Amino acid sequence: MDTSAFDADNSVSCRLSSIIPDVCKTEDCCLGIDEAGRGPVLGPMVYGICFCPISKKEELKGLKVADSKTLSEAERETLFQKLDDAKGFLGWALHILSPNTISTSMLQRTKCNLNTLSHDTAIGLVQFALDSGVQLKEVFVDTVGPAEKYEEKLSKIFPGIDVTVRPKADSLFPIVSAASICAKVARDHVVKNWKFVENLADVDTEYGSGYPNDPKTKAWLLKYLDPVFGYPQFVRFSWSTAQTLIDSKAVTVHWDDDEEDGEKAAQRLANRSMLSYFSAPGGVTNPTQTHRFFTERRLKSLDTL
Amino acid sequence: MASKKKRTPNVQNDSWVVIAADSAVDSQRKDNDPTFVRLRNPATDAASLYMLSGGGGNLQLYEVKAFEEDFRSWFVGQTVQRDGRLLFVTQMDPLFLMLPYLIKSGKEGKFQRLDQMVMDEEFPACSGLLSCTRSLASMHHIADEKEVGSHKFHRYSQEKTMAWLKKKVEKTVLVLKKKNISVGEGVKSSSYIRVKLESDSSKEDYLGYAHGLISEYINKDLSKDLRHHLQLPELTSPKETEPASKKRKLSDKPVEALDDYTKFNSGDFARKPPKKMTAAQKNLAKVDKSGMKTMSSFFSLKVKAEKK
Repeated sequence: MDTSAFDADNSVSCRLSSIIPDVCKTEDCCLGIDEAGRGPVLGPMVYGICFCPISKKEELKGLKVADSKTLSEAERETLFQKLDDAKGFLGWALHILSPNTISTSMLQRTKCNLNTLSHDTAIGLVQFALDSGVQLKEVFVDTVGPAEKYEEKLSKIFPGIDVTVRPKADSLFPIVSAASICAKVARDHVVKNWKFVENLADVDTEYGSGYPNDPKTKAWLLKYLDPVFGYPQFVRFSWSTAQTLIDSKAVTVHWDDDEEDGEKAAQRLANRSMLSYFSAPGGVTNPTQTHRFFTERRLKSLDTL
Repeated sequence: MASKKKRTPNVQNDSWVVIAADSAVDSQRKDNDPTFVRLRNPATDAASLYMLSGGGGNLQLYEVKAFEEDFRSWFVGQTVQRDGRLLFVTQMDPLFLMLPYLIKSGKEGKFQRLDQMVMDEEFPACSGLLSCTRSLASMHHIADEKEVGSHKFHRYSQEKTMAWLKKKVEKTVLVLKKKNISVGEGVKSSSYIRVKLESDSSKEDYLGYAHGLISEYINKDLSKDLRHHLQLPELTSPKETEPASKKRKLSDKPVEALDDYTKFNSGDFARKPPKKMTAAQKNLAKVDKSGMKTMSSFFSLKVKAEKK
């Protein structure tokens, strides 16, 4: 698999796709969605779709695609090659969400949680297939969050398409298994080829599985914690593992949307107590009020440096 | 997520981010580096920071203002600076700082030598004001002058000072207009960018605003006198502008309900279907609420939070 488009700039998200087989544009098709790398604190999350004409479902079974989790890396690689070789009737597309995208989405002012991010990515890929002219009739999805809600959401967005959301869909429907293989292979490639934009000299790649509970991963996270900047972009800052380490080991950083106790924040901002508005006027006028030219511009005189 | 971060007190800085005119920091002679001095602020009567710069008989006074907002830090070269302030060093007329001393001495009504008037035990650096290039040459704006032999003597003149301050206000008005600074009463935010030019700001708005700005550099009494001199209306205190508290109207007529609530008493009222939500309400309902607190949680007892 060629992931060079993403490797060139791994701070943003990237879409990769096969050519769209001509039969998919004329015949009714089914589509499977699955993701890889949802849990790790390191590396990207990859969403994959696979689609083929409904009439070719049996042929897909012949490729013996199975749940990617039961396969070794080498087996996945060969299976992906088989899938990619079936260009005549099978198409795929991937959306690689860089760890940086995940961090910034989840930590931005209007928080976007991982489920929303996952849903939006899946929806984007289905839309991509539709826009490419694939005649979608059936969509199979491995669930994220409660299956019924997700199914309802997808059915509403794509009326006329039969949406099936099931937990463990990747072992139930071959088209979802195929999607899961594409996603997994892409994630493996990207992680292996990861180029750190940070100047880390000879970076130690012994970070284990990348999952938060892996001791190797934890040790790596401790090793590469910068007191000021935190982590390289390879790390998902929004993961509690990363956050806890940053909170305890790195310099404290305050943002203006940090949660703070109402009372304390008010005190800090020197706000007037609500009660003061109810007392009799007079006596509260500030004798040395700075002109609004300065207060509006946050300018003040200093008495010392 | 809700872990509370402790704020460590700001440690003393050894560097600052400063914006200053080249002329303020490029002194021709090495022995005359610009120096920060603490002088008496004429408006507050307390210490404020100023800068004296420029050697070789060309000493200038600068005031130091800090742009300060919460949650700001600097990246400077390869370092991080915790103090996110931006200091502005801007030129200032030394007469403003000398005025309080002259007014004080002026009460005696005698002509005096400047170096006898501009003295301050608390701020000995104030004698440096006399060396400023503009000081001696512009003393006639605020004081009567008398020359005896080679010595010059001065006496504070309220009349001259008012005329001088009026000119300052008028000059400020010109700058305010040129820089398109909104001076109207209703405008609260300076960051709000208006599409249409403000044509409704009256001459008086500008005068009042400029008077307020100049008042940042003179004491309260002088500010009051200047307001009078400019024929601006007296400032209304917030006490007067506050609306009178509402009192229940008393009347002899029998009290009658304004709304008829009985129509809601019929049985079918309760079974009315809920009203359709507006587009805005629908959008609100769709917002990702995970991690948000309920409104009621803000009103619970404080004790629990403190124990954490």
